[in-house]
Amino acid sequence: MVLFKKVLVANRGEIAVRVIKACQEMGVKTVAIYSDVDKDAPHVQLADETVGLGDPTPIQSYLNISKIIKIAQDVGAEAIHPGYGFLAENPDFAMSCDDAGVKFIGPSSKVIGLMGDKIAAKKTMEKAGVPVIPGYHGLKQDVSTLVREGKKIGFPLLVKAAAGGGGKGMRIVYSEDTLEESIESAKRESKSSFGDDTVFLEKYLDKPRHIEFQILADEYGNTIHLFERECSIQRRHQKIIEETPSPVVSKELRRRMGEAAVKAAQAVGYSNAGTVEFMVDGDLNFYFMEMNTRLQVEHPITEMTTGVDLVKWQLRIASGMKLTLKQKDLFQRGHAIECRIYAEDPRNGFLPSVGTLEKIEVPTGPNIRDDSGICTGMKITPYYDPLLAKLVVSAENREESIQKMIWALSHYVVMGVTTNISFLKKVLEHEEFRRGNITTHFIDNYFKDWTTAKKGLPVDAIIALAVYDLMHRRTHEVVRYKEADPHSPWKHVGRWRVGGI
Amino acid sequence: MFINYEHENHVYNVSIEHKDSYYFITYDNTEYKVEAEETKPGQLKIKIGDKIVKAVIAESGKEKFVFVDGDVFKVKPVELTGMKRVKKKDEEEGLSSPISGRVVSVKVKKGDFVKKGDVLMVIEAMKMEYLIRAPYDGKVKKINFKEKDQIEIGQTTVELEKE
Repeated sequence: MVLFKKVLVANRGEIAVRVIKACQEMGVKTVAIYSDVDKDAPHVQLADETVGLGDPTPIQSYLNISKIIKIAQDVGAEAIHPGYGFLAENPDFAMSCDDAGVKFIGPSSKVIGLMGDKIAAKKTMEKAGVPVIPGYHGLKQDVSTLVREGKKIGFPLLVKAAAGGGGKGMRIVYSEDTLEESIESAKRESKSSFGDDTVFLEKYLDKPRHIEFQILADEYGNTIHLFERECSIQRRHQKIIEETPSPVVSKELRRRMGEAAVKAAQAVGYSNAGTVEFMVDGDLNFYFMEMNTRLQVEHPITEMTTGVDLVKWQLRIASGMKLTLKQKDLFQRGHAIECRIYAEDPRNGFLPSVGTLEKIEVPTGPNIRDDSGICTGMKITPYYDPLLAKLVVSAENREESIQKMIWALSHYVVMGVTTNISFLKKVLEHEEFRRGNITTHFIDNYFKDWTTAKKGLPVDAIIALAVYDLMHRRTHEVVRYKEADPHSPWKHVGRWRVGGI
Repeated sequence: MFINYEHENHVYNVSIEHKDSYYFITYDNTEYKVEAEETKPGQLKIKIGDKIVKAVIAESGKEKFVFVDGDVFKVKPVELTGMKRVKKKDEEEGLSSPISGRVVSVKVKKGDFVKKGDVLMVIEAMKMEYLIRAPYDGKVKKINFKEKDQIEIGQTTVELEKE
């Protein structure tokens, strides 16, 4: 088997840069695609060939299946790497690639479709013997059936709208007394919000953690896991800080969860890189939540601790090579953390911040990795996800990793748009985070009101500005007065800058 | 030199002087004596007491961005108004001392008529001499310093009545 000669990267930002670099290291030619607003973006500058998509609206550009496939055919790309987001988990896109004779770097369209249907995915996993959260996802929606099923599951219990999102149509029920009225009100709310009153019932987990396992599987059934990632630090279901190993996963639990993850992947005939997400409760019971059929945003922390390059394996597996990594040869070394740097304003409800990047300075040092898709002069537009970069560090242990990350964030300069860097630092400095006492409710529990905190200009900033302005004030005429005759060399000195010389 | 910075609708009044190898910054009735160097364009290393502060500054039109301790702040210098100093016209800026130093000589007397470009005063600092020239034709109304006086940055050397 030989690797592809040319790969089209159907994405933008940091992940496109990441994939292009991996291809280039392996001697694979790359094709970048870009919308009008991205024409000078780093992924475009880096790629061997570039093709414009025009209109920046996602549906016209990075989500435009027919346009992207036509480009792949025109440039003679043998494969398409979808990155994450956009078309990465779209079974129609994977199928269109197959039809066009272009290899989709990821699992089959059938697997993507199956895992995309969250209820079908759970049923498949339950059959395969992977623990799932006890619940009722049936079509019989009369209140008496729901009450009966709810009692079977036990309390606390979560009632949630099938079409739900943003907490609408969601109720936590702590006892049988309020079950019926909660189901009825959730149905009413769901009906008015989504036009559909179907609700599901699920066991409500106490102190839930989000812990996921990285999977690599080749096209011959060889499947391994590359340990866990703890992703409990989330804001509105968006992960912001991820780490590995998890502070609560023991060797024994890791072995059991790893086996379950491999079983889950094998149950659906999974191939390429994927992630099995579990919920873990306060008693360390774990339940299958969903499978992400793509490369994850947070994949670098796994790479930092295992030494495995996941993107390169995606390319090898897709080109038909066998997985030569063996489970028994894989180890975790040290501890790694990733922080997602977003162009959003923590003091303004985390709304995306747009503008032109005036200056970027990135911390460097041992075991500091910056996966970035930005450059000076670039405009951050409202068209796409506001992720600017991912800062990743690793060290011998968790405590040192946290210290290194705080240092690195303190030296990460992004000027021109507001970022969440100060917020990330505050989370890492929090005592409960440092103790490893984290759940998916962490941000809500400790940082709910943080968005409203205003703090003004610190004295150090005022001093720096004043010093800078004095150093750079307008030029003054400078001469040696005593020597200011027509023949003096000082006559030719010209205008000098006065200040902190 | 007096500067006002606006940040999030709040105005910060600051004054700064450079004397010997120190910067003296007065803000909120406190004086800070600091040492500073520009290690590379836009990057400052400032010693405030025992603390070293690394700051990065970028300009974009009228706005400035300042980075300290992991945070970026956007500021806008605002027109000098109010109690501390009345804003001077650009040409009058030429009558203020560009630097803190010592007056070496005064070239004019009260009541003299001067032409634009005439030397009014010579100030020495850091082994350099700085000439204060008349920014326009006029009559010397007042001389604020005499020979050997200490003069601070931003202080008005000579007051001229426009001709």
